[in-house]
Amino acid sequence: MIGSIGRRYLTATRYALFEQARNRMAIMLLIAFVPIWYYLVGLFTIEDTPIDFKFRVTGAFLHVSGHNLTLLTAGLSAITLIVGFMLFTSTRKDRQFDQRLVLNGYPQPLLILAKLTSLVAVAAAVSLYASCLLVAFWHPGSLPLVWLGFFCAALCYGGLGLLLGVLLRGELEGFFLIIMFSMIDTFIQNPIGNPAANQSFVVWFPAFAPTQISVAGGFTHVVPWGYVLFSLAWLVAFVLFGLAIFWWKTRAWRVHTRASSTSQVSHYVTEITR
Amino acid sequence: MPEPVLRSQDLYKSFGRRKVLQGVNFSVYPGTLVGIVGENGAGKSTLLRILAGELRPNHGDVDRHGTMGYCPQTVILNDALTVNQHLDYFRAVYNISDLRRADELVELLGYQEYRQQLVGTLSGGTKQKLNLTLALMHQPQLLLLDEPYQGFDWETYLRFWDLVTELRERGCAILVISHLFFEQARFDEVYRLQEGQVQIQMLVNA
Repeated sequence: MIGSIGRRYLTATRYALFEQARNRMAIMLLIAFVPIWYYLVGLFTIEDTPIDFKFRVTGAFLHVSGHNLTLLTAGLSAITLIVGFMLFTSTRKDRQFDQRLVLNGYPQPLLILAKLTSLVAVAAAVSLYASCLLVAFWHPGSLPLVWLGFFCAALCYGGLGLLLGVLLRGELEGFFLIIMFSMIDTFIQNPIGNPAANQSFVVWFPAFAPTQISVAGGFTHVVPWGYVLFSLAWLVAFVLFGLAIFWWKTRAWRVHTRASSTSQVSHYVTEITR
Repeated sequence: MPEPVLRSQDLYKSFGRRKVLQGVNFSVYPGTLVGIVGENGAGKSTLLRILAGELRPNHGDVDRHGTMGYCPQTVILNDALTVNQHLDYFRAVYNISDLRRADELVELLGYQEYRQQLVGTLSGGTKQKLNLTLALMHQPQLLLLDEPYQGFDWETYLRFWDLVTELRERGCAILVISHLFFEQARFDEVYRLQEGQVQIQMLVNA
């Protein structure tokens, strides 16, 4: 039985990842948009302009390069956009197919687990790519920590993409919402884009904790584990809500079933309604 | 008298104020081929979706006996996967050990040359063949087929009926829904769905 559960889970996960790998638009965005976005954002910020950034991990203000800080923001905005888009598209496209799987006996919990696995894998891969590409523009203090911040942001927005994928009927509204949330959420954290970025209201946005983690990686040697948990809270909220809707929409209604018999018949009596 | 493989009891279904099914009662027995015919919008697909467990009726019960294969009217496949990948996926869904039966069905329906192709690149008829294969590959005891031969060429249409005959002889209970039946004589029984109820249209003694 455990072997059967494992095989089914691995099958669903394999094909979820396969489907993501075949998302040509996402691949194009990764290859073209991310480096171009880094370049453009870097181009429009002056290299040597220092900026004060409220590093809430220690409570102190960091005096950092505005250019390098904005590169981090660019990476976060690109990742949240792409991963949100990937999970939204796949969740939305697969709704009916997932329901067919469940209707034919595929256990919903395994399907849900497979989707979560693909979310984590996609978030890890995209954030790794974006953080490695960052090195072409700037060498942050700790690249693994920058990756961790990017990964947390990708997880949040992957969860948001999943939620919007099960919630929304139309594709256009999903794309619009992801683009809008991603841009506002990430740039609101940067004092260059938002003079009020150092105020306390920004802590309630999903990109707050990933930004703090990325800044820790870029400019300090502090590892803000508490902020990792904080960012995962957004993921949990999005995913729980999204998976509850997913479970509701793909469930099979209870039909009375009994064990089979294999007898053949050569005649029968029909029932006629009036 | 054998027990029916499928029995619907007093099914009612409305969508808002629109009453689609108003007391549907019928049974399907092992080794029989039953058809339900009706005009467009009569509620045939709604009935089948309830029988398959996809939709919940407002009132009534459905009793099923044994394993079920359901071929929906809409072709529900994943465009990002190949034909072979669909078969592998459904092998896991049905928890069956091999794809021998699926391979036989692919050969019978005549689309083996498309096995490595992405479903998104296939024609409508070929997609429907895969749609049907996925419903049959685990050798279910009850088959629910909604417009199963849409998009089939003539040869595949004839092969489909050969397959149905074979399944019937194996004891499978088959319910086919269509808005047209050119070959009513093949059926053991044909019901007409009208004004939300089924009434027997034709009966052929076995």
